[in-house]
Amino acid sequence: MEKILQVNDLHISFDIHAGEVQAVRGVTFDLYKGETLAIVGESGSGKSVTSKALMRLLPTPPSRIKQGEILFEGKDLTKLTDKEMQEIRGKKISMIFQDPMTSLNPTMTIGKQIMEAILKHQNLSKDEARKRAIELLQLVGIKNAELRMKQYPHQFSGGMRQRVVIAIALACNPKILIADEPTTALDVTIQAQILELMKDLQKKLGMSIIFITHDLGVVANMADRVAVMYAGKIVEMGTVDEIFYNPKHPYTWGLLASMPSLDHKDTELYSIPGSPPDLLNPPKGDAFAPRNPYALKIDYELEPPMFQVSDTHYAATWLLHELAPKVEPPAIVRERMKQFADIVARKGGKPRG
Amino acid sequence: MAKQQYDQLSPEWFQPAPPNVGEQEKINRPSLTFWHDVWLRLRENKAAIAGMIMIVILALLAIFAPMASERSYKAQNLSHAKLPPKVPVLENISWLNLDGKDPNGVDVYKERGVKEYYWFGTDDLGRDLWVRTWYGTRISLYIGLLAAVIDLFIGIAYGGISGYYGGRVDNAMQRVIEILNGIPYLIVVILFILIFEPGIISITLAMVITGWTTMARIVRGQILKLKNMEYVLAARTLGASNSRLIFKHLIPNVMGPIIITTMFTIPSAIFTEAFLSFIGLGIRPPEASLGSLVNEGYKSIQTYPHLIIIPSIVISLLILSFNLVADGLRDALDPKMRK
Amino acid sequence: MARYTIQRIVYMVITLFIIATLTFFLMKLLPGSPLQNQEKLTPEQRALILKEYGLDKPVPVQYVQYLGNLLQGDLGVSFQYDNRPVTELIGDRIGPSAQLGFQAIVFGTIVGLVLGIFAAIRHNSWEDYTATVIAVIGISVPSFVLAGFLQYFIGVKLQWLPVAFWEGFKYTIMPTLALSVGVIANIARFMRTEMLEVLSSDYILTARAKGISNAGVVVKHAIRNSLIPVITILGPMAVNLMTGTLVIEKIFAVPGLGEQFVRSIELNDYPVIMGTTLFYSALLIFVIFIVDILYGIVDPRIRLAGGKK
Repeated sequence: MEKILQVNDLHISFDIHAGEVQAVRGVTFDLYKGETLAIVGESGSGKSVTSKALMRLLPTPPSRIKQGEILFEGKDLTKLTDKEMQEIRGKKISMIFQDPMTSLNPTMTIGKQIMEAILKHQNLSKDEARKRAIELLQLVGIKNAELRMKQYPHQFSGGMRQRVVIAIALACNPKILIADEPTTALDVTIQAQILELMKDLQKKLGMSIIFITHDLGVVANMADRVAVMYAGKIVEMGTVDEIFYNPKHPYTWGLLASMPSLDHKDTELYSIPGSPPDLLNPPKGDAFAPRNPYALKIDYELEPPMFQVSDTHYAATWLLHELAPKVEPPAIVRERMKQFADIVARKGGKPRG
Repeated sequence: MAKQQYDQLSPEWFQPAPPNVGEQEKINRPSLTFWHDVWLRLRENKAAIAGMIMIVILALLAIFAPMASERSYKAQNLSHAKLPPKVPVLENISWLNLDGKDPNGVDVYKERGVKEYYWFGTDDLGRDLWVRTWYGTRISLYIGLLAAVIDLFIGIAYGGISGYYGGRVDNAMQRVIEILNGIPYLIVVILFILIFEPGIISITLAMVITGWTTMARIVRGQILKLKNMEYVLAARTLGASNSRLIFKHLIPNVMGPIIITTMFTIPSAIFTEAFLSFIGLGIRPPEASLGSLVNEGYKSIQTYPHLIIIPSIVISLLILSFNLVADGLRDALDPKMRK
Repeated sequence: MARYTIQRIVYMVITLFIIATLTFFLMKLLPGSPLQNQEKLTPEQRALILKEYGLDKPVPVQYVQYLGNLLQGDLGVSFQYDNRPVTELIGDRIGPSAQLGFQAIVFGTIVGLVLGIFAAIRHNSWEDYTATVIAVIGISVPSFVLAGFLQYFIGVKLQWLPVAFWEGFKYTIMPTLALSVGVIANIARFMRTEMLEVLSSDYILTARAKGISNAGVVVKHAIRNSLIPVITILGPMAVNLMTGTLVIEKIFAVPGLGEQFVRSIELNDYPVIMGTTLFYSALLIFVIFIVDILYGIVDPRIRLAGGKK
């Protein structure tokens, strides 16, 4: 498959009063054409920072890209000027944000906000742009599009607003759509509608999606591949089946175990003990070690490299080293893994890969 | 990939070493109370600290300078009229113009044979400007303090009651405020001055009538917002009494906006008094207020500039200091505004 | 919106009515009368004059008459200025005050907005700090102090501009400057805070994610949204300007309403004081009303929600 975006060893730091917060510490991944890559992790794991960095939307200062490259269409995005970057934003790479209640300008009509993106990147007259905006509204499933064009954000519900935000992002048929927790702020039913819409649009338009979320349920539903982030690093990466059926990193186990499930009313919901490390002073060795019940002595001394599990599956844990004791995932995770397999089997599908 | 370079690792390293989670959860930073935290933030604000120091200095001078001087603020001495400032030691620094010479360079003290030093000079009736200036500062500080007290008592009580009880009570109380706000402050003062005499009493009364409405509105808004918060509902469910709710749960959480509002009320009250005295509606001679001193200074702005410059500087410094402290407190208390 | 407007108008009328009533009864309480300067009158002449002013009737009748006169724009006659009607005195003096106020608010608003916007865009840079310092000094130094310094340095020492009086545009520069400093400082401070808040909001990020240039984001999204709340401080600003004109006109000997008002206070000319007061109140209440309505029109959230904020 064709690689559309390559991120190599990306380091991002924030210079604050107390020192340097190393929010992203060496992230590497590729994005293929037409796929959905999910980036999962707790808050503060660096997933949002990574996604904003791809768009160069982080304020500098205090943030700075310390090291690494973001290759897109033969260009390193980290080296582009503001002007060159503006040509890419909204046209080649688009982004939708978490909270649709605040991500639209309250004093500008919906129509104008969509047309703004069209007029910026496409050589269209105002009338053509208006027509295109109406098409976009229809595309994202908004009825009475012509009337809706003249309305203001406060006249839309949360789900409708998120549809508008998506319409803006799709205005110029971008190659990549970055969705930063696009459903977190929505009701569950609306959430499902928006996810369906996104899948549907991806099928129609063929763009690649980077989907940032902390909700593994959404990941199972949406993603082709998954990158699990912890403390500014990708700790495990693989296809969605590999991550759900054959997770290798203890942190991924923790995430899977802490997913609420309808089938297990009687078991206590698992939670990963402790809290993520302070990235102002990242710990020596594996950042997850202090919360890892399977930690080894080496975890406190040396950072684990990425061990290859399969062609598409990598994990950064010493447990994969040949000298390490053989450890099975905890029972609850094994049960979960089985469940996922069952669900897929019931649906009659075969594991994707 | 990097596998080879890790091949020489000792098997010893691969012993399990699960973490002690209890250790991990230990909080290793001392926990700070809210106010301690505010103070730490305020302390970093150099402008606010400078303002505070300046207020203390001005207040000390206002309290003690008139007491320490043997001259009274209204004692006239025509033979010492219109003397420029002369300060020991500083008189030797020529650019400060504190050497007892008038703008034409004539040493007035020598000419008239005055042996005493008038640090800020004298006015056209020979009254000591040093004493009068600090006397006027006292009035300014009194007004500032008064405004704060009115804000704290009437404003909080009115806003608190209005917001806490809500409904019809709130509605009626808000209409009263709306009408009071419609009447410009200046007009209330003028009304009082016409009934009573121009002076401190009229200004005080006018402030009591109108000075607290901003505070009342802010406290009401905050209480309205807070009283529906879950923690208040929780306390109510647990059977907390009205007074307990108000004093333990609501007021402490409104303290930030209250302090900020009070701190901004003070300089504006000081300004208002100076302004009224300046146009002749406030303190009138022989009493001294910084505003009336500046007004008198205008009469001889060309011949005796010290008469206008000194009270001008003092009133500006006073208001500036309070504004700096108020700004600093707002930034320290409202981390959202501090960017 | 219509309901809100009507509600506002009702409150406006009630407030004015209360002020007018207070004014009337205070006048009754006050010692002065149109006769105070003409003490050597015979009882007949006295009665004649009282009758002429309607002062021989019982107080409630006088009150109704007074309100009726008010509605016709009659504010009574001056004790000092040859019994001239107060309305006429106000009419004579309003010109310079209006010009001064207008110039100050236009100049002050423009400079204040530019300073505030600049400070916010260059947040935490030296430009920001300079603007902040200018603003805090501007709100701290009273206008009557500032006017003195301007008069002394620019007028007396440098002799660039005339020290006082009102004989052409050149004469308006210094008073306008002195009056506008407060406006500049207030608007700059307010605008800076608003802009900073807007600039950190999510929809600015959305706009940037669309590929809009930095300048475009600032002009199309940030400034517009920050300007809306600035309208709310125009009301208090009008109060400031009004009190400002009192001292500025006095200091620069501008033949305006404020100067006349201060003089009438010194002379205890109650009808002029009360009439001008009433006029000022009406003006301010009207300005605040207009600002309120304007806010509703500019902000679609209020305009379309049809109610209060």
